[in-house]
Amino acid sequence: MIASLFAAQACAPSECFAVPANIAFGICALLMIGAAIKVVTETNIVHAALYLVVVLAGVGVNYLILQAEFLAVTQFLVYIGAIIVLFLFGIMLTRAPMGRSDDLDNAKLRPAGIGAAVMLLVVLGGALLSSFGETHLVFSTANSTTALSDAVFNQYLIPFEVVSVMLLAALIGAIVLARRD
Amino acid sequence: MPDFVAPTLDLHALAPEFVLAGVVCVLLLLDVVLLDRAKAIVGSIAGLGLLGSLVPILTLATSDHPTRTMFGGSYVVDSTSLLLKALFIVSAYVVVLLSTNYIGEGDYWESEYYTLLVSSVLGMTVMASARDLISIFVALELLSIPAYMLAAWSKRDGRSNEAGMKYYLMGVFASAILLYGMSLLYGWSGSTQLSEIGRAIGEKNSPAVTLGVVFVLVGFAFKVSAVPFHMWAPDTYEGAPTPVTAFLAVASKAAGFVALIQVIGQALVLRMNVMIPVVAVLAALSMTIGNLIALRQTNVIRMLAYSGIAQAGFMLAPFVASQYGGIDAIVIYLVLYAATNLGAFAVVMAIARRTRSAEISSFGGLFSYSPGLAVALSVFLASFVGIPPLGIWYGKLSVMRALIESQGRWATVLAIFVALNTAIAAYYYLNVAKTMWFDDAPEGESTPIKVPTSLRFAVGIALVATIALGVYPGPLTDAATPEATPAAAPSGR
Repeated sequence: MIASLFAAQACAPSECFAVPANIAFGICALLMIGAAIKVVTETNIVHAALYLVVVLAGVGVNYLILQAEFLAVTQFLVYIGAIIVLFLFGIMLTRAPMGRSDDLDNAKLRPAGIGAAVMLLVVLGGALLSSFGETHLVFSTANSTTALSDAVFNQYLIPFEVVSVMLLAALIGAIVLARRD
Repeated sequence: MPDFVAPTLDLHALAPEFVLAGVVCVLLLLDVVLLDRAKAIVGSIAGLGLLGSLVPILTLATSDHPTRTMFGGSYVVDSTSLLLKALFIVSAYVVVLLSTNYIGEGDYWESEYYTLLVSSVLGMTVMASARDLISIFVALELLSIPAYMLAAWSKRDGRSNEAGMKYYLMGVFASAILLYGMSLLYGWSGSTQLSEIGRAIGEKNSPAVTLGVVFVLVGFAFKVSAVPFHMWAPDTYEGAPTPVTAFLAVASKAAGFVALIQVIGQALVLRMNVMIPVVAVLAALSMTIGNLIALRQTNVIRMLAYSGIAQAGFMLAPFVASQYGGIDAIVIYLVLYAATNLGAFAVVMAIARRTRSAEISSFGGLFSYSPGLAVALSVFLASFVGIPPLGIWYGKLSVMRALIESQGRWATVLAIFVALNTAIAAYYYLNVAKTMWFDDAPEGESTPIKVPTSLRFAVGIALVATIALGVYPGPLTDAATPEATPAAAPSGR
């Protein structure tokens, strides 16, 4: 529904990306950056996992803005519904410390970490801007979920089947390694 | 909106994959139905199933349409991919032979072990035919994920847990980098198919393409344990159960190379100016550093791990001569390397059954009490060095020929590196041989080592392959050289 709201505002391909979408992206990006920094600096591991929810939800919202509603739903279900819940279960069911633990933060390595992050930002950002900076996004009216399902069962049939074997193998191996015997 | 059109499947071309998937299901069900009685037969079923999947490969190789394309060129079965599939399956069969006693006698989960092994092989066979990014990535994950868990299979051994954990973390990290590079290439070209990507990046370069190519190469460099992304390899090889180590060192590494062959041969070959320096530096570093560290090892398994890193360098080098038969040279080298390395692992396992260690010093005087094993290991070590007419000499020749014929600056430098490193490697390989032939046997070692039938068989297969392919490499060269007209190949059937 949100996606169709934005789609109605879409301008011609030659013009800019729709203004509401740009504003939505801006807000979303700021929230994501803030939350991502908190994920790394937070000393309480449960809080860090909860901040990660914000980052992953932001990715999902970005998919919605891009009209990839199926991808957005998958992102919410898999990452927030499954993976973060698994993180929290993992923390609570094992003997990991739940509260504040000051040794999570390695102050000595902080300059190195910041340096690496800034370098990566400059290289990636520069490459992406100079390669795709002029590209205009075009809103399509076609139903992307239909296209996706057609592709999965036609062009990408073999990878789709292979993934099922992969999940089976991962399941069996995980059970063997995790069970107490 | 167009209606859905079901894809046309060439079931004959997919038959090897179907057989392997069937074996996975049968192994699982047997364990459920027979419970403890399954233990006695799962190894044999896995071995027979692998041999069974060779049948469709033979019928495909001799059929009228050796080249079959599906899904608009995303899945290709040709003579090279058939050769590689056969390589993976035969290697896995030898690994099953190596496992029969080792896994049966130890404290392991048996039928799950073979299930994971065969599913990993299924990933490898898909990789040999995959021609688009999604298939390649999914195949890579299918072959890696069981391998991560197999490395940690001896659950009570801390070193095995460490091996699995290190391999898993490094592998996932590499996958993330690889995936990011793939997304950049897809974003630039708008297609997941390698041939389309090649066309798009060949026409016009951009920083995103450069970054994508570098990330993809780095991602695969982790998988083939090229320096400086090799940190996981020695610890994983030493800690994992030995048959799994053989599987990782041969089949898993070969699959990484096959992925590189597809990506470089189909797409990146049109972006040589970015690809060559990255590959050349990786190759030169792997050869030199792998060899220098191998020189100082006292444990044979660790020595084989580092020598494997150096051998990966030899196999990376011909990529800089991709347009001059370099890719064919890599395929040839891969087959010979697999035969030799599996043989070496089989003999080391046979000896370690008695000595309970893989220290080089424990091999002293092997010839005096177990001459058969000493001769076999000497053959494999001589093949590693590249002494004609044993196996790898022909691989080294093909690599050198490709490098010299291309006459590029990087290729010439790499040719010199290959020559120098072959000389360095000869020292530590022949040092093991010297220990076996001339040193004194440890006290009390006088009776010959009893070798179980399956290990005997594994050594036999490797010996025959190493010697036969070294003496008469003609058929191997024919199978490794793709047909001249891939564009005009008939699609489907």
